[in-house]
Amino acid sequence: MNLLEINDLTSGYEGVQILWGVNLSLEKGKLTTLVGSNGVGKTTLLSTVMGLLRPWQGTVNFEGKDVTNLPAHARAKAGMVLVPEGRQLFTEMTVLENLEMGAFSPRARVSFKQNLDKVFELFPRLKERAKQKAGTLSGGEQQMVAVSRGLMAEPEILFLDELSLGLSPLLALTLFESLTRLKKTGLTMLLVEQNVSMALAVSDYAYVLAEGRVHLEGPARDLLKNDEVRRTYLGI
Amino acid sequence: MQLISSLTDGLLLGFVYGVAAMGLTLIWGVMTVINLAHGPVIALGMFGTYLFFTHLGLNPYLALAPVALFGLLLGFIIYGMAVHRVINAPHLSSLLATFAVNMIIIGLGTAIFSTSPQNIDYSLGSMQIGFLTIPFSRLLATLGAVLFTAALYLFLYFTRPGKAIRAVANNRRAAELMGIPSSQVLALSFGLGTMLAAVAGGLIATFFPFTILSGGPYELKSFVICVLGGLGNPLGALLGGLILGGLEGLIPTFMPVSWVPVVEFGLFVLVLLVKPSGLLGAK
Repeated sequence: MNLLEINDLTSGYEGVQILWGVNLSLEKGKLTTLVGSNGVGKTTLLSTVMGLLRPWQGTVNFEGKDVTNLPAHARAKAGMVLVPEGRQLFTEMTVLENLEMGAFSPRARVSFKQNLDKVFELFPRLKERAKQKAGTLSGGEQQMVAVSRGLMAEPEILFLDELSLGLSPLLALTLFESLTRLKKTGLTMLLVEQNVSMALAVSDYAYVLAEGRVHLEGPARDLLKNDEVRRTYLGI
Repeated sequence: MQLISSLTDGLLLGFVYGVAAMGLTLIWGVMTVINLAHGPVIALGMFGTYLFFTHLGLNPYLALAPVALFGLLLGFIIYGMAVHRVINAPHLSSLLATFAVNMIIIGLGTAIFSTSPQNIDYSLGSMQIGFLTIPFSRLLATLGAVLFTAALYLFLYFTRPGKAIRAVANNRRAAELMGIPSSQVLALSFGLGTMLAAVAGGLIATFFPFTILSGGPYELKSFVICVLGGLGNPLGALLGGLILGGLEGLIPTFMPVSWVPVVEFGLFVLVLLVKPSGLLGAK
């Protein structure tokens, strides 16, 4: 069953069209990766799917319901949660307050305690940093807060935009390991990642976005063997 | 001795200035809107307290509760009518929009109340501490100001909607992504800002006469205070209020009263030149 269906989505900024009819669907419980060079519209796609950006045409269906015209906060309430590019933490608030804000929607509030334990188990370092202002943490720790804040929202589907950007390879690896652990809990995820080889290695399915359209799609394992993908995105 | 008594006088008034400025700084901090309707709302707070007192016989200090509620609701209305649609527009749009609200309130207020001065005829006498004579009305106003400041602090740091306000102020887009309805939070913040203005007006009305135009000078003082304390910083607003109040107490002992605004706005310009982020400003 498909949790999310994106149909023929077009969108852009102030008269500049970025997306030219994107079709994409996410299967429940699967980890999907969206690959593409800089500027092909990956972040635009996520913004449109989340309702931060108004689509020009096309629809977004979540759990069988049309959410195309819902505002971002209503989508978050329904279980669509984005961990945005560049972390976008509440830098002036403590780590714990950031996590509380993640659990703002009534659905997430009920299970705040359990989710907090889960998140601290996933990233033990955050427990030590709970009372610290989020803006004072290192880049890697901030990314952990960003992912944790997203998890606190009790997502049905988690979008992760450029998770490893600006992180050391070791930290990136740690975060990818946490993704595989999350996958085992049955969480549906869409990963947008410039570290293509790492992303494809942990994913079930993948889409390649080029010039505002889905250019290629298939099981991640197959794409790893695809000549064009290897040449363009893996540099092999 | 004269000095200390003038300073005390000024500082007590400074707490009330602080409350008015906190309202302005809260709105700026959350949505970077400079609310030019702040002054008229202060004046409406004065009239609110006055009307409750003269027509319903309500104690002016008890009248602060309905006045606060009225200020909150008025803020929702102003936000919905004038601010929400220009919230993402350049600053000039929100300046003009709130200025329009300013003119509407003053126009209506002049028509209804005329511009002849009113005052609340309610005296509590004064208290003698050594050589200091402190009117009880000043003391109660200070107490009220401190209570509202403490309540605002507790609200912002220990309640869910308060934290949501801080989250929206910090990163509105991220707040929206976390399921926080940012438009509602902005309306609430604006309401709280105007509530503080109305309360400050109500407190001032207990010891100064006023007209519908009286809010203007306090709005200007609020700007000076906000700049002193750092725009967007509620604690800085209180500190700035105390500084300004203290100055207003002290200056007349050295030079003619008419110099007060000269020194105040001289300071305003100086702070903008030397430390534009304010005395407590970090950014």
